Amino acid sequence: MDAYDGGSEARHGPGGPDGPGVPAESGGPVEPAPPTEPPAGVAALSLPYRIGVALALAVVAVGVCVHVGMMFLHVAPPNTVTREHGKAVDDWIYPEFEQNWKLFAPNPLQQNISIQVRAEVRDGEGGTLTTGWYDLSAEDGRAIDGNLLPSHTQQNELRRAWDFFLATHDSENRPVGLRGSLSESYLRRIVVLRLDRDDAVRAATGGVGTIERVQVRSRTSNVPPPKWSREKVSTTPAYRELPWWPVPEDEAGGGVR
Amino acid sequence: MNRFSLAASRGIARVTEAALGPYQTAVIRIGFSATWLLFLLREFPHRHELYGPDGPWSWGLAEQLIGTNKAFTTLMWSDGGAWFEIVYLLAVLASALLMLGWRSRTMSVLFMVGVLSLQNRSVFMGDGGDNVLHLMSVYLVFTRCAQVWSLDARRAARARAAHARGERVTDRTGPALWGVLGLVLAGATLAGRMESDWLIPALLWTVWVTQGLWWLTGRRAQAGEPRIMLDVVANVVHNGALLVIMAEACLIYATAGWYKIQGSRWQDGTAVYYPLHLEYFSPWPGLADLLSASGTMVMLVTYGTVLVQVAFPFTLFNRRVKNVLLAVMITEHAVIAVVLGLPFFSLAMIAADAVFLPTAFLRRMGGRAARARDRLLRRGGPGQVPEQQVHERPEATHVGFGT
Repeated sequence: MDAYDGGSEARHGPGGPDGPGVPAESGGPVEPAPPTEPPAGVAALSLPYRIGVALALAVVAVGVCVHVGMMFLHVAPPNTVTREHGKAVDDWIYPEFEQNWKLFAPNPLQQNISIQVRAEVRDGEGGTLTTGWYDLSAEDGRAIDGNLLPSHTQQNELRRAWDFFLATHDSENRPVGLRGSLSESYLRRIVVLRLDRDDAVRAATGGVGTIERVQVRSRTSNVPPPKWSREKVSTTPAYRELPWWPVPEDEAGGGVR
Repeated sequence: MNRFSLAASRGIARVTEAALGPYQTAVIRIGFSATWLLFLLREFPHRHELYGPDGPWSWGLAEQLIGTNKAFTTLMWSDGGAWFEIVYLLAVLASALLMLGWRSRTMSVLFMVGVLSLQNRSVFMGDGGDNVLHLMSVYLVFTRCAQVWSLDARRAARARAAHARGERVTDRTGPALWGVLGLVLAGATLAGRMESDWLIPALLWTVWVTQGLWWLTGRRAQAGEPRIMLDVVANVVHNGALLVIMAEACLIYATAGWYKIQGSRWQDGTAVYYPLHLEYFSPWPGLADLLSASGTMVMLVTYGTVLVQVAFPFTLFNRRVKNVLLAVMITEHAVIAVVLGLPFFSLAMIAADAVFLPTAFLRRMGGRAARARDRLLRRGGPGQVPEQQVHERPEATHVGFGT
């Protein structure tokens, strides 16, 4: 699911699908009234209660129609109605009904995007060293290999953090808005955590030290076309290098272990 | 005109007299809660990294984002480690109890709170499977999803039997649970913790109040009119939610299918090859190579996928075609679970598909599961087998669309 966008502040749309009453039983549903009991259902009700049922029926019917309609408009491509009433749709959908079902569509991703990181480490004697590049996506890939139950930490965390970064930065790697700076902090915290797990400091200094700065780059390479296709694509990877980011002192340890 | 009003009154009678699809709603209750339960248990070692206050998506970062999107999460109530552990464990517990169908309405609410709390806390950790669970956890709250295959159904049957013997059954657990949760809800509201969008807090309060009314109106042995009205309204709400759940499943397939049609790779018949060769979705490279060895096979699967996804919503009008497509889609998701390494996404999708399964099939499966359980229990010792009668109402076992 994509991140919830804070596009709309005011949340005062009409009721959700819940209508006025969500009948519930004290502690759990009970089966429909058993036949041994006196007549149940609308037939057993006097006029005022029938009116109550009719009202509930109307509210639920309208609620269901509006909700399904709003969800349809939310997943449909931009169109005349959403251009006119996009705000109303967003007010209804966000924050809890956001959805994205463009699963491998319109086209599946045809590139492997590897996130790599290196760090500048200050060792015990005050010298500064730069580590080699750590390919974190390749590490994820190895963790997923032969894995029947890949963890979200291996499959989604870094991949979606990078998507988040791309969506909130311009081509010069400048952050756009609050979400831009959030995505930078997020990516930085992930790579520092991963460097810590890889014991990068010890590998670089042979002993103690602290990470002072990190640099992230992405390596994008085309998936080679199938053997049976006559297509040719470039196999030269493309790199996108981000600027060095200073690592705040309290974060250098990597957070979660 | 006369025919129209006759059809309308028949329709109204159907949606008011019963909560339709008892087996279908039970199977999705079990499906979604089991998926989330297995996910939480699988991620237990990684829970701090995913949702914990010191994870990469730290409490502070989440606070800034949630300040702008107003999503509901109890995890923002405190940045303490203990609070996080409590919420995670309660989410596990609520899923397990909802799966068993114990106090299902209450558990469906707690299940939703668990799902929203964790997912909204770290929105960038999820994928399509989380998205399905997120939506369905909200919809489940509106359903009477424990009419069969649940501890609640067994309890209700026992209460009926006792009632028939002239015994009086008093339920203490229900009111106690209601009281405790009411205190928590009131505490959270008064402490100003319900800062999210109004929808979820309003839903929590509405369910709580209605449960109180349900209990109050059911205290007398003879069902009074208020109780009957609540029962009818509960049926109506259930049926509305069931329709929304089915529409949601159709929307998922329609969106996935129609957007694919526009993609060049789905048009040239090579699309399926690519995800199989992405680092993040290829746990079995050998298997992926085997599956994509033949260009013709890849094209058939590529076209077949689009065809099935686009066609599915329309096949609901024909029972037989729908069932064939359902079998194809469930199989495809089972394959995706292993080949693309997406077990929880696939489980969630299979659970969503299950809402369209025919009643006869579900009852056969239920019977088989009950026999297997009985055999296990007998082998395990002299434990007696609890009787669980399903209240048979043939007219109530249809979901519609000729299921």
